Amino acid sequence: MFKTLLKKQMYEFFAGFFIDKKTGKSRAKNGVIGYIVIYIFLFVMLGVVFFNSAATLCAPLSEMGLSWLYFAIMSLIGLALGVFGSVFNTFSALYKAKDNDILLSMPIPPRMILFSRMTGTWIMGTAYELIVMVPALIVYYINVKQTALSVVFSVLAVLDMSVTVLVLSCALGWVVALISGKRKNKSIATVILSLVFLACYYIVYMRAYEYIGMVIQNADKVSSFFKTYIFLIYQLGMAAEGKVLSMLIVTVFTAAAFADVMVVMSRTFIKITTNEKAAAKIVYKEKTASRKSESTALLKKEFAKFFSSPNYMLNCALGTVMMPALGIISLIKGEQLVEKLSTAAPELGNILPLAAAASVCMLTSMNDITAPSVSLEGKSLWIIRSYPVDMKKVLFAKLKVHLIMTVIPGVFASACIGASMKLGIAESVIICLISAAFAVLNGSFGLFINLKKPNFTWTNEIAPIKQSAGVVITLFGGWGVIVVLAALYLLLNTLVSPLIFLIICLAVLSAAAAGFTLWVAKKGSVILNNL
Amino acid sequence: MLEIRNYSKIYGDKKAVDNLSLNIQPGEIYGFIGHNGAGKTTTLKACAGVLMPTSGEIFVDGMSMLSSPIECKKKIAYIPDNPDLYDYMSGIKYLNFTADIFGVSAGERKERIKKYSDMFELTADLAQPISSYSHGMKQKLAVISAWLHEPKLIIMDEPFVGLDPKAAHTLKTMMRELCDRGGAIFFSTHVLEVAEKLCDKIAIIKSGALIKSGTMEEVKGDETLEDVFLELEDRDV
Repeated sequence: MFKTLLKKQMYEFFAGFFIDKKTGKSRAKNGVIGYIVIYIFLFVMLGVVFFNSAATLCAPLSEMGLSWLYFAIMSLIGLALGVFGSVFNTFSALYKAKDNDILLSMPIPPRMILFSRMTGTWIMGTAYELIVMVPALIVYYINVKQTALSVVFSVLAVLDMSVTVLVLSCALGWVVALISGKRKNKSIATVILSLVFLACYYIVYMRAYEYIGMVIQNADKVSSFFKTYIFLIYQLGMAAEGKVLSMLIVTVFTAAAFADVMVVMSRTFIKITTNEKAAAKIVYKEKTASRKSESTALLKKEFAKFFSSPNYMLNCALGTVMMPALGIISLIKGEQLVEKLSTAAPELGNILPLAAAASVCMLTSMNDITAPSVSLEGKSLWIIRSYPVDMKKVLFAKLKVHLIMTVIPGVFASACIGASMKLGIAESVIICLISAAFAVLNGSFGLFINLKKPNFTWTNEIAPIKQSAGVVITLFGGWGVIVVLAALYLLLNTLVSPLIFLIICLAVLSAAAAGFTLWVAKKGSVILNNL
Repeated sequence: MLEIRNYSKIYGDKKAVDNLSLNIQPGEIYGFIGHNGAGKTTTLKACAGVLMPTSGEIFVDGMSMLSSPIECKKKIAYIPDNPDLYDYMSGIKYLNFTADIFGVSAGERKERIKKYSDMFELTADLAQPISSYSHGMKQKLAVISAWLHEPKLIIMDEPFVGLDPKAAHTLKTMMRELCDRGGAIFFSTHVLEVAEKLCDKIAIIKSGALIKSGTMEEVKGDETLEDVFLELEDRDV
């Protein structure tokens, strides 16, 4: 029975690689390979960042005979990233799948349903953990002399960590489930909790190198801290050195934590999944609603969808929070940064406007609200298809949500950066316009890719929001555009000034945005009408 | 009111509907029956403008669904076999959304929402999220939403599924009243007793082809609709 459930779960999880959701047919071999290559590329790209951190940390610590501390610290980072990568989806993946009713009506022990769904969470968490741990292991094997046992144990330790990631994700998902079952504004509560978690994560991440330096300078104190307060992580580091007892301790602790969480979650699974009607009934009071235009009605519908889904907000609109944060941070720290930079590398002062534009665009790219928006119509697609409404208006309503959530914070961040770095008015205005053009490009490209690759047959909204190729391509494609423009500047910097280059960027991005928007209006609306 | 002219729909190698023609006049309740997979939903979806025909045309009040889809859709309402509505909206928000799209004035929508939701005993639940509705409540909401802009033509796929007996009776009364005012209804059902009592005309489809259509008397004669249907189903097309 569990095998059957697991097969179904794995089919759902990996279906995007092998099945074209639009036609329901198997993808061509090249398509499958292409998908896999994109994911491997992204994995490697992110892994390189952690490789650099690991390399900075490993050599000095291993020279001090504290290679276990290196492994323990990297494991902590891996653990944090693994939990961060999977926790936002755990609640909906475990408790909110659309096949709840079907599965619960079958003679299947609820714990089997839970366990099978947890495999998806485990894969997701492990994938994120490995982004840190694969480069960490490579650096470890290069810098620290290994025995056969230490190699085997270090790999086993990584596997143990993946179970710990699962335990923490599930425990946090369970807490979210308990809180959201009792609260009225579930979506907002979930988003706020997640953002607090995220803020803590980013603060640590942004100061990573500072912390690495502190660790190296205070290695003795840090190692005694690990031994005293995070005993298990200390044992994990020791296990990677080939210590049998440490390996046993870590494995037993992990297994015990896993068993505890499973017991609690199994016992509460049915109660939480069937808790829909626990909320107090809202009494309808008759009132006259004013008549809205079609466009306003469609925009309200899109916003209702957006604000109803924590997954949607967290995965596709992080930029909305990050951009104002960047703006405020730049107002506080910007001047200091410019001073430091002008002392350390005066020649870099020229490219400050470019760096400002790139950083705002990077965050703009984190908003990919349109990329899953067509797929999210799901089985309700018939409504807009049967209503007398121009499909162009439907698509533009989706684009407007993206623009409202992206352009306003983008322009705010640009203006703050412009002010804090004392950029000229022309440069500041162009950066604002670039961030707006980039938002239009990202939004219209998201619609383009989603209309080309829609998925209406999902059982969990995580599939279109997080696991679809369209979202991945839109997110990383945006970053790719920035990298290409940066490379272009390196080629042209002797020919054009930064201001002229910004104007070129604005022209290129505006033209691309206009092209994709035009495509959405003309071809996109025809495609939506025929889906 | 609704003319289906030589409608065919092909999915890959499979012909789901083959050269089907029907004419539904104002004032008629037109039933559409056939076995599972016969092509009923495919036909109804095309009439509602949700599915493009492979060949043939659909006309609503003399206008082509292919060339004037928005004008056609303004005159119709469609209720699918499974009322997958916007779960993230409340009942009243969904009704207001529908009213906005169809341009129903504030006064009219208030009056109609009250009238129909009272008839279906759904008024108290209108502020609840649709995600908390039962299948029957969703079906009632879909029916209220369909009647909200007083369409000339209503297309329904298995509209009685999930409705309690009282709501089913209310719906039948509303269907008759709409047709008495000059509207038309085209709906599918597997409940042949309902079709026999309610419909003015009936069409029977088998494996995508229309095998019999006409007034109830023409189709069934002295037999019951069930006998005629079973007899036709046993024959080769």
